[in-house]
Amino acid sequence: MECVTKIKDSAEVLMDYGSGALSAARVAEVDRHIEDCEACRQLFAAQRALWLEMDQLAAPEVSGNFDARLYARIAEEDAAPAWRRWTRRLFAPAVPVAIWKPAVSLAATCAVLTVGLMVRTPGASEKVQQQVRADHAVDIEQVADALDDLEMLSPGSAM
Amino acid sequence: MEAVAALERDAELMLRVRAGDTTSFALLLERHRTPVVHFLFRMVQNQAVAEELAQEVFLRVYRSRERYEPTAKFTTWLFRIATHLALNWIRDGKKEKGQESLNEDLIEGVERQVADQQPTVEQEMLYEVKLREVRDAIGMLPAKQRAAVVMHKYEELEYSQIARALSCSESAVKSLLFRAYETLRARLSHMAS
Repeated sequence: MECVTKIKDSAEVLMDYGSGALSAARVAEVDRHIEDCEACRQLFAAQRALWLEMDQLAAPEVSGNFDARLYARIAEEDAAPAWRRWTRRLFAPAVPVAIWKPAVSLAATCAVLTVGLMVRTPGASEKVQQQVRADHAVDIEQVADALDDLEMLSPGSAM
Repeated sequence: MEAVAALERDAELMLRVRAGDTTSFALLLERHRTPVVHFLFRMVQNQAVAEELAQEVFLRVYRSRERYEPTAKFTTWLFRIATHLALNWIRDGKKEKGQESLNEDLIEGVERQVADQQPTVEQEMLYEVKLREVRDAIGMLPAKQRAAVVMHKYEELEYSQIARALSCSESAVKSLLFRAYETLRARLSHMAS
């Protein structure tokens, strides 16, 4: 047997040894190993001791009127209107339902659609077009000014 | 063999409940009432709260009877509901609210148990101290580790059942248990000596 203190997967052996769930053959195997391995001897002894200590945590008896209280609640539930029973099933399911998964997908889809609509909005597109036209007009003016400056500076213009 | 028969019987009873047989529900309640209350008591460490949550567990079982399908062991489903409710209760910080009655419940339980064996006053006090230490050590574990330990140690559920109850993999359960027992061994090591 490989040393439990060195092999992570052997944790199950330790727990089953402590709980007594290990087969007789496995127990014999562990016992043989323990004879030569001080670290494992201490670990297995500690787990066994813990198991016995934990046995002391007894739980109190269930109240005598537990069933009566439950049946009263059931009767109340059965007498409730159908819509209320349906709401209870929806908001208090027997086991948890991972509603966040479809919710996250829906939210992501909504976010993508919103961004897409904003980019493609006619108003937004018009603004961009106006900006491009303004920039274009400035460019032409600048070129014309530059040409005028060149003409003034050229030798022929001084004459 | 007996365990398998018992499991099949649970599913059979639940299918009868689905068909409208209230006697079968009473039988299921009789079989599982104590394990569920005890599991919840060890989780929330308060008897009144444990019983209240157990009522909710059985109410949800009854409410879901029409949609019940025997795809998993009945006990796995039952403990999944109980674990979900206990973890929610702990998460919502209701622990503080019920803490006041915690000691009364436990001391009462200890006294009852000790009275049967007629120990000396010294033994009684020692037992009480040990019990409190064990309870506190378990109570200090993170909620999921606590649930795994209680199901493993006290309810003797298989790793696969604990995994389904906690909605995680079997290897994650073994890891949770290993870490939890490691912590408990360290916290309670002085008691063994």
